[in-house]
Amino acid sequence: MSGPLMSGRLPRVRRGRPIRVAGALAAALLLLAADPGLAQDALALTPEYGRFPLIGARGAIWIAAQVHLMFAAFVLGVPMFAVVVEAVGMFGGDRRYDRLAKEFTRLLLIAYSATAIWGAALVFALATLYPRFWAYLTAIFAPSMWIYAGLFFLESFTLYLYYYGWERWKEGIGKKMHWGLGILLNVWGTIVMFIANSWLTYMMSPPADVTADTAPQTVRLWSAIANATWMPINIHRLIANVVFGGAIVGAYAAYRFLAARTDEERAHYDWMGYIGNFIAIGALIVLPFAGYYLGREIYEFNQQMGITMMGGFMSWLWIIQAFLIGILFLTGNYYLWVGMGRIPGAERFTPYIKWLLIVLVIGTIVWATPHTMIANRREIAAMGGTHHPFLGVLGVMSAKNTAVNFMILTTFLSFLLYRRANKQPVIGWARTGTLVQGAAFALAGGIVLFYGIYGYFVSAIVRIGFSVYQVLAVLACILVVITLDVLMLRGATSRGAIRWGQMPARSQYALFILAVTFTWLMGLMGFARSGIRQHWHVFEVIRDTSPQAFTPALGPAATMISVCVLIFFGIVAFIFWLGGLAEKPIVGPAAVGTAVDLGPAATSVAVGPGPAPSAAAGD
Amino acid sequence: MLRTNLKILFTVIGTLAVYTAVANMIPQVQSEVPEETAIGADATPEQLVAIGQELYEGAGGCTACHGLGTRAPDLLGVIGQVCGDRREGLECKEYILQSLTEPSSFVVEGFQPIMPDLRRTLSEPQIWALVAFLQSQGGQVTVTAADIPRAEVTAAGGQAIGDDGGAAAADAAVTDPVELLRTNACFACHQLGEEGVALGPAFETIGTRDAEYIRRSILLPNADTAQGFETVAGTMPANFGDQLTAAQLETIVRFLSSQR
Repeated sequence: MSGPLMSGRLPRVRRGRPIRVAGALAAALLLLAADPGLAQDALALTPEYGRFPLIGARGAIWIAAQVHLMFAAFVLGVPMFAVVVEAVGMFGGDRRYDRLAKEFTRLLLIAYSATAIWGAALVFALATLYPRFWAYLTAIFAPSMWIYAGLFFLESFTLYLYYYGWERWKEGIGKKMHWGLGILLNVWGTIVMFIANSWLTYMMSPPADVTADTAPQTVRLWSAIANATWMPINIHRLIANVVFGGAIVGAYAAYRFLAARTDEERAHYDWMGYIGNFIAIGALIVLPFAGYYLGREIYEFNQQMGITMMGGFMSWLWIIQAFLIGILFLTGNYYLWVGMGRIPGAERFTPYIKWLLIVLVIGTIVWATPHTMIANRREIAAMGGTHHPFLGVLGVMSAKNTAVNFMILTTFLSFLLYRRANKQPVIGWARTGTLVQGAAFALAGGIVLFYGIYGYFVSAIVRIGFSVYQVLAVLACILVVITLDVLMLRGATSRGAIRWGQMPARSQYALFILAVTFTWLMGLMGFARSGIRQHWHVFEVIRDTSPQAFTPALGPAATMISVCVLIFFGIVAFIFWLGGLAEKPIVGPAAVGTAVDLGPAATSVAVGPGPAPSAAAGD
Repeated sequence: MLRTNLKILFTVIGTLAVYTAVANMIPQVQSEVPEETAIGADATPEQLVAIGQELYEGAGGCTACHGLGTRAPDLLGVIGQVCGDRREGLECKEYILQSLTEPSSFVVEGFQPIMPDLRRTLSEPQIWALVAFLQSQGGQVTVTAADIPRAEVTAAGGQAIGDDGGAAAADAAVTDPVELLRTNACFACHQLGEEGVALGPAFETIGTRDAEYIRRSILLPNADTAQGFETVAGTMPANFGDQLTAAQLETIVRFLSSQR
C-alpha cells in the first residue's frame, strides 16, 4: 500500500499510549474471533487513530508502505527475468546467461530481508496508528492474511533453494528441476502480490453492496478480494515490477562497472547493464496498455473517481508523469546511442541519431503540454479562456497520443539500429526485407499521424476510439519488423565484435538516472492510486476523520516521494556493497575465456550479444 | 572510488532535486475534506453564495468538469440567466437543486451523463449554498435560509451540518421500487404499464432475464445490449452505481426480476 493511505492524529488518543492502543486492538481482535456479534462493540472500543512523532501518522505510514513496496517490486520483478535469462542459458547452451541469472538472484537475497523488515514496519504502523481501520481490514481479510504468511514462507524457502542449489543442480535433469524452482518462486511471489493487492484495491473500490453500515464480518471474502480494480492492478504491477527490477539491476551493473578494476569485470557489467536497460525499456513500452485498462476500470467503478484522477485535483500529476516518461525515453535512447560507439559498423547510423533525438524531444514537449487543468476564474481570465490559445491545441489527447506513439516507434528504431549495427545479412532478400521494414514504419507512422489529425474533427467519444487504432498500428509494426529482422539476420556475418566494457562513464550515470526516475515515477503513481480515494479509508464506506484527511497537493507529495526514494536507494547502496563483499565477482579468467570462445557469432539470442572483453577480443 | 561514489550520489540527489522542484513549481491543488459549515437561520443570500462559491471551487469538486469546456457545460456567469427557462414549471432554484441531486434528470445535449449525485458527498445545507452560488451566476439569488430544512437548525441560530457527507440520506428512505424508477428517470426510456417511453426494453417482461443480468445492466449498461435495441446501445447512463444505495439497487433488481 502506498501513498497517503490515511492520516493524522486523533485528539482522543494522548501521546505516550501506544501500549494501550495495541492492547485495545488485541482485545478487539480477540472479541472478533470469539464472537462476531461483539464485533461492532469491539471496533467501537478500539481507538481510531494513534500518533507518531515529528512526521505524523500519515507520514509514517506513507514511508513504510512506499519503501516496502519498492523492495517488494524489486524482489518480485527480478525473479521473473532471472528465470527467463536462466532458460536462455539452459536451452541456448550459453553459460554466460546462467551466470547472469545467478547474479540477478544474488541481489534478491539481501533485498528480500529488507522487504520483510519494511513489511513488518508497515503492519506495526497500521496496527498502532490506525487501529480501528486495521481491525476493520482484519475482520474481512484475516483468512487471506494467514494464507499470505504461509506463502511467504514457501517463497522464502524456494528462493534459498533456488540460489544455494544453483551449483549443485547445474547439469541435466537437475538443471531443469532448478529452473522449475525458479518458476515456482515466481508463482509464490505472484500469488503473494495478488493477495496484498486485494487489500489495497478493496480500499479503492469496495463491492457495491458494502456500505458504511455493513458490518465487516458480513462482507464475503471473495467478493472483497475480486473487487473492480483488483485484476487491473495485478496486471499493471506485474509488468511494472519487471520494469523496475530491470532498472535497478541496470543501476547495480553501472555501479559495478564504475568500480571495476579489470577489463573483464567492466565487460561483464557493461553487458549486464545493457540487459537491465533492455528489460526495463522493453517492458515499459507495454506498461501504458495495462495503465489504460486500470484507468478504464476505475472509470467504470466510479465516474467521479476517474474524473478526480484524470481531470480533478490530480490533473497536474499527469503532466509530471509525462515529463518523467519523456526523461525515461530520452535517457534510455541516449544509453543505446552511446552504446553504439562500441559496436563496429554502428557509425553508419550515427547521422540519423539527431533526427531521432528531435522526434523524442518534440514528443516529450507535446506530451507534457497542460490542457484540461482545474482553473479558477482569475486564472481563466488571465489565460483568455479555459485553454491556452496556442498550447491548448497541443495539449489535447489527439496530439498527446500521436506524440507518445511516435516516441515508442522512435525508441524501437533506436533499438533496431543498435541490434543491426555490427551485422551484415547474408540472405538474398535482405534489401527487400529492409524496404518492407521501412514501409512498416512509414505505414504505422502514417496511421498514427492520420488519426492524430482526424481526432481534431470528431467528437470526444469517437476520438477516444482512435487511440486504439494508433496503438495497434505501432504494435503491428513492432511485431512485423522484429520478426523480419530475426529472419534476416540468421547466419549474418559480423562487422566486428562488440567491444564490451568500452563504454564512457557518462552512459553508466544514465543508468542511474533511469533507476531513480523509475523509482520516483513508481512513488508518484502510488500517490495517484491511493490519493484518488481522497478523504476515505475505504472509498465511500469508511471516512477518514483524522485531521490529515485531506489529500496533499503535488508539491508536498513530491517531497515525500523523494524522501522515500532516498531511503530506498540508501539501503540499496548498502545491499550493492554487501553484494560485492559476499562473493567474488562472477567473472574471472575462466569466464573471459568462455566469452572469447563464444565470440560474436553467438549473439543472436533474445536479448543481444554477450560480453567479449575488448582486450581479449583483440579489438 | 570516492570520487565515483560522490558523482553517483550527486546524480541521484540531483535527479531527485529536479523532480521535487518541478512538482513544487506547478500550481498546487490540495483535495480538501468537505467541512462542517455553520449556516445560521438568519443567514443572508450573500453568505450562502460565499459558502457555495467555496464549495464550487473546492470540496464540491465542480471545477473538475465545469468550466473546462469539454466534460460539462460552463456554468460561471451563465447558469443563473437560463436556469429558470430550462424546464417549464420549475423555478430556477428547483431546477438547479434537481440537477445537483438527480443529475440524470437533465443532461445537456452534447455531454455525457457523468455528473454524480452530490448528496453522496455534500450535506443538504451545502447543496443549497451551492444552488445559491449558481443562481448568482448571471441571475437573481432566491435561495434563503428558509429553504434549508429547519430540523437541522440549532437553537443558538447556528446550524450544525452533519459530517456524514450527505450520503443520499433523503433518498435512502425511499423503498418503493416504482418510485425509485421514477426518481431515477428510468421511465424516460423504459415503459411499465402506462408509464414511460418504450425506447429501451419494456419493464413488464424484463423478469425473463435473471437478477444478475438485470443488476449488471443497471450498473454496467454497456456490458450487454438487448436484442432489437442495438440502435440505442450506449445511451443508458452508466452512473446508477453512484446514485443508488445498495439497498435501493437491490429493491429495483428484485422488483424488475418479478416482472414477467
